[in-house]
Amino acid sequence: MAVATPETRLQSRVLATVTVSFAMDYVLLLQRIFDALFNSAIYSSLALALVIIFRSTGLLNFAQGEMATFTAYIAFVLLSGPQPRLTGGGLAGLIPGVPFSIPLAIIGAVVCGMAAGAATERALIRPLGGASDLALVNITIGLLLATNSLMAQWWGTGPRFFPSIFPTGAGQHFVILGARLRYSTVGVWAILLSVLVLLVLLLRHTRAGLAFRAVSISPSNAELVGVRVGPTLMYGWALASGFGALAACLSANSVLLEPSMMLRVLVYAFAAATLGGLDSPKGALVGGLIIGLSQTLIPAYVPFIGFELSVLPALLAMVVILLIRPAGLYGTKRIERV
Amino acid sequence: MVDDVFDEVGLKVEDLHASYGAVEVLRGLDFEVAAKGVSVILGANGAGKTTTLRAICNMCNTSGKVTLGDDDITRTGTAEIVRKGVAHVPQGRGTFPELSVLDNLMIGAYTRKDKEVKDDVDRWFEIFPRLSERSDQLAGSLSGGEQQMLAVARALMCRPRLLLLDEPSLGLAPLIIEDLFERFTTLNKETGLTMLVVEQNANLALDMADYGYVIESGEITLSGSAEKLKNDPAVQEAYLGA
Repeated sequence: MAVATPETRLQSRVLATVTVSFAMDYVLLLQRIFDALFNSAIYSSLALALVIIFRSTGLLNFAQGEMATFTAYIAFVLLSGPQPRLTGGGLAGLIPGVPFSIPLAIIGAVVCGMAAGAATERALIRPLGGASDLALVNITIGLLLATNSLMAQWWGTGPRFFPSIFPTGAGQHFVILGARLRYSTVGVWAILLSVLVLLVLLLRHTRAGLAFRAVSISPSNAELVGVRVGPTLMYGWALASGFGALAACLSANSVLLEPSMMLRVLVYAFAAATLGGLDSPKGALVGGLIIGLSQTLIPAYVPFIGFELSVLPALLAMVVILLIRPAGLYGTKRIERV
Repeated sequence: MVDDVFDEVGLKVEDLHASYGAVEVLRGLDFEVAAKGVSVILGANGAGKTTTLRAICNMCNTSGKVTLGDDDITRTGTAEIVRKGVAHVPQGRGTFPELSVLDNLMIGAYTRKDKEVKDDVDRWFEIFPRLSERSDQLAGSLSGGEQQMLAVARALMCRPRLLLLDEPSLGLAPLIIEDLFERFTTLNKETGLTMLVVEQNANLALDMADYGYVIESGEITLSGSAEKLKNDPAVQEAYLGA
């Protein structure tokens, strides 16, 4: 029988404290994961947009984020009621504000985004079909700057409140093992996954989807079976911009609507898409998760990396994975016979 | 200009020029393919055989005139030319390695809107049982011979009037080549499909064809019936290893 000396009492108290702190850490860890999941979904959506365009056009669209932000402004205008509060300057004053409910406004923004994506392909990318990829990438960078300035011109640079499609007030969450999982996180994932399922069905089971896959593999061979490559690519740009619009409209509530709100998100989405493999939708999803989680978890558990440096570990992870697997986690390794 | 040597012309090419950048590859070709016939273009590497087929489908910079039946297709886009009934099996076969065998056949029928696509797939699976067994596999996992079968079946899924074949024998074992050419002959005899074949393997090609052209440095230097070409000393020396 052990006698409780002051020493052993101290030991057991230390042990108890450590155990308690571990137990608390466990809930905190889960909480951090839940919190990171919201951003992950946004990164995945925008990464998906990048992947769809890269697969079909072989191009990185740097304007993807700004194009998405633009659609969020469209949703904002649609929501603003008959007396637009936010007309800003220029042409924006001409857009009639209609009292739309949030889901309708987001659907409207997605449709406008898809039309804008298709128009971009038709007006800026297709006429330059003979130009090098690098030239086309520069065009998308130009489009990024132009769209950004246009938004600043029309709506100003100040951040604006954008309503959330999900209930976000206090207490609007599930409690799982002591951690809070917000309804908005569940909602954004539900939307992302269902749109993704829709996309897969579209690609696998429709004529247009088959044509799209054929063009992604080889535009010249696709043309030789009678597929019109231009319109098929336009369709791809429309799909991608739809995903971008969703990402912007769903995240505008938490980051506040302003012309540059997707710039950071774009960097993370690029990282996510590269990590997953630039031509793999599944890779975009997993890449978004990894970037989102490591961005939150690594600064939380590695003391010398502050939250200001949160992008660093994610990018390091990307470099390491690309060193081991140059095509990314799920990317297609292209074998070329010489 | 050539005289009309055939009763009915399937494809007529006049003064066809083609260039890649500053390099002129075709320097004014004139030739015809008889409707329901098999014509062959013989030539060495770099003579312009592949470019000829690409030029017919408007896949490179061209000038001249290409007529399909009564239809001037010189300025028609590639996808539209396919819709008019020209199937092209390009070099490298033109299949989609990352699509399944079945999807490759389905995309071959992309231009069709009728209800018999499924029947045609079944028919090709019957003709090429190997493809049927591998229906769900990716086309890239097939052997060279199987891929060439798939390429031909894929091209014929659009029910073409004219089939262009770019060196179908390339990279295949002799036995497989023989089998393939036998199938081409049967196809032509049974369905009356017009064919233009570009080949280095002159023996087999001339056996199958009824008319032939020899192309050298982008110009046609010799033409005549397959019989005549086979007995031509220059052809024998250059292409038949005689």
